[in-house]
Amino acid sequence: MKKRWVSMLACVTVLSTLLSACGGDKEAEKNAAVADENTPLEITWLNILHTASPPTETIKKLLEEYTNTKLTFNWVPDASKEERITTALASGELADIVTLTMMTNSSVRSSLKSGLFWDVSPYLDDYDNLSKIAPEIREAASIEGVLYGVPFQKNLARSGLIMRKDWLDKLGLPVPTTLDEVYEVARAFTEDDPDGNGVKDTTGFGDRSDLRYSSFKTLSSYFGTPNGWKVDESGKFIPEFDTPEYMETLNFSKKLYENGYLAQDFAVTAKTDQQQQFAQGKTGIYTGMVDISSLRTLSQDLQEGLELVPINKISNGDGKYHIWSEGSGVGGLMAFPKSEVKTEAELKRLLQFVNDLIDEEAFMLMTGGIEGTHYEYDENGAYKILDKELWQADVQPFSSSRPSEIAYTLKDANPEKQLANELIRENDQYAVFDPTVPLDSATNNEQGTELAKIITDATFKYIMGQATEDDFKKAVQTWKDSGGSKIAEEYEAAYKLTQK
Amino acid sequence: MKVPSITAPSNLNLDKKKGSAFLTAAKKYKLLYLMIFPGLVYFIIFKYLPMGGLVIAFQDYQPFLGITGSEWVGFKHFIRLFTEPTFMMLLRNTLILFALNIVIFFPLPIIVALMLNELKNRHLKSWIQTIIYIPHFMSWVIIVSITYVFMTLDGGLINEVIASMGFKKISFLTSPEWLRTIYIGQIIWKEIGWSTIIYLAAITVVDPQLYEAAEMDGAARLRKTWHVTLPAIRPVIITLLILKIGSTLDLGFEHMYLLLNSLNREVAEIFDTYIYTAGLKNGQLSFSTTVGMFKGVVGLILVMASNKLAKKMGEDGVY
Repeated sequence: MKKRWVSMLACVTVLSTLLSACGGDKEAEKNAAVADENTPLEITWLNILHTASPPTETIKKLLEEYTNTKLTFNWVPDASKEERITTALASGELADIVTLTMMTNSSVRSSLKSGLFWDVSPYLDDYDNLSKIAPEIREAASIEGVLYGVPFQKNLARSGLIMRKDWLDKLGLPVPTTLDEVYEVARAFTEDDPDGNGVKDTTGFGDRSDLRYSSFKTLSSYFGTPNGWKVDESGKFIPEFDTPEYMETLNFSKKLYENGYLAQDFAVTAKTDQQQQFAQGKTGIYTGMVDISSLRTLSQDLQEGLELVPINKISNGDGKYHIWSEGSGVGGLMAFPKSEVKTEAELKRLLQFVNDLIDEEAFMLMTGGIEGTHYEYDENGAYKILDKELWQADVQPFSSSRPSEIAYTLKDANPEKQLANELIRENDQYAVFDPTVPLDSATNNEQGTELAKIITDATFKYIMGQATEDDFKKAVQTWKDSGGSKIAEEYEAAYKLTQK
Repeated sequence: MKVPSITAPSNLNLDKKKGSAFLTAAKKYKLLYLMIFPGLVYFIIFKYLPMGGLVIAFQDYQPFLGITGSEWVGFKHFIRLFTEPTFMMLLRNTLILFALNIVIFFPLPIIVALMLNELKNRHLKSWIQTIIYIPHFMSWVIIVSITYVFMTLDGGLINEVIASMGFKKISFLTSPEWLRTIYIGQIIWKEIGWSTIIYLAAITVVDPQLYEAAEMDGAARLRKTWHVTLPAIRPVIITLLILKIGSTLDLGFEHMYLLLNSLNREVAEIFDTYIYTAGLKNGQLSFSTTVGMFKGVVGLILVMASNKLAKKMGEDGVY
């Protein structure tokens, strides 16, 4: 493995020297293009692809026309972004615009901090749409107060549950509002034969081998667990897994698991398998409201009478709602490497391009495609996709590249989707922020991901009954001793600086 | 005084002869030498040049600063590696799996080859051979996926059978105690047929007269296998063993990475998977180079030691 990788590194180094040697002419061309406003600007964009294949040329051409550019995309599949982005950063094989989504990844952070990218904060206010980026978002997207790119604006909190409404109705259960009721639904979905086939072949809670984006983190915020870290009155940083609420979540999940109400092999289940299980009627509860339309599509012809209900408000019995926020509404950065973007003039032209993408026309191109071909508005003014397959091929890959997902609100013709959208917006009121998002810790950058494994492993083991509470406490202690305490101290120090 | 003056030119002559001998040989076998060339280039470009990159193990390597610009930190990363608690876990897991590979997997193809050799029905023999070497062509992703489908708790075939017989389901995939069994089982299933090929080839060159002689001495089948076939393929076995030891710590990144999960990490995390997560996923290039370098050095020592041992025992060794 290592040999291969080192050789790859060597090759990439050799290649990049070769390329930079013959890149002179291109540079001159680009400068000429910047000087002349009317010639389309050539832009390369290293971007993350969330779909199976890259988009067709249709939308790209229209976007180019609208923004007066010539776009070349270098798509990195989401599944391999960690390797691809880290190697791209390591080898300097970058593009004019680089989409960075993994803001906590240590190599992304260290390359940002090393000054590889332009600081865009002095320029944002010169552009209509970019100036509207809220100060909180700018702060959340900054590292040590410097904004190394245009933040992708997302909803503050997108999480929530999806349940089989038809099963709830069949068993005479109300839509749950408390964790106890959620537990009861999971029990009933497992034991009371919700699909009515006379066989006990259903499991209440579906889940997968991911504590963050699947059930665990969402449940834990329902219990009131802080998001990542808790800052107490004296400014001390306490990691979320060292709080009583985290323990409560552990016990809740453990109880679900022990009684068989939680998918028994969740620790080795992938997202697609979890979705398949739901679509095939094997499970009745799914975490992640954004997936509601894909769940419906998947279950077509498999589950008759399928009805779904998205749920965002679950309390720990006290009527208060909390939901964790991913990156405080920042989905990453569109960063401009100094190695590619040499002059301020070039940077300004690129910012203009990003700004133009937030215009309604460009936004709609990247969201729905072409009106009449890909989507239309029905008589109620609700937005409806006309040809799902065509939309998936032409438009969908662009939708996650939108610099802002919150600039315009569309009314969705699909009532379930529309409800989910509304609930995601409603989540804003209950969002719990991670205080460390704008802070920096050297130890966390270096060892954080390795250390996190200790806690992740212990959490899985506890839920599956392979570890006791003492074992879990020991794991937390190991985490602290191997660098966790140092991370907390560094965050504290960084936090104090921001409070002044 | 005359002696050296006579010998000196003659020595020179000899050297010249040697040089020209190489040239004539090169001329004579130019096609053969030409055929070495691509291999040589391959090794230089992909094996020797990249070794220069190992210097980053002694730096806090920052890609944008490059090797020349990065800060030198001496043995910092080595100290971190050897003092981290994970190190003992990695070493233990790697060595145990290596031992399983050598002790359990290595002899199996030899036994299978000997057994196949005793089969007199040619059709049956080639049929069995084909069947057992097909899995070699499947990727680990497929093999691990098949295992998952069979062993999962939620409706996996094996667990369904266990449950129908009234026993408690076993969580094969998430219990540390099953990991090694599954790992070695998958290797056996995938590679046993392919590995027998070389032994079968070695067996075919055994001089039939030896068998006839053994028969004259009244040796039965088992005796013939033990005293004729096995000693005849011994050099092949030794060579393959040394080569196998050479790739000691290359336990199969892909294979293990697919089997690894939070529940079995304590027995499943090995150097290969650790290098991948630390280096490529977290971008700690220097540190993972250190781990890789350590792995490489251990492998080198093991090969040299086993080669020496083989020579001591009167075998040829690999070099």
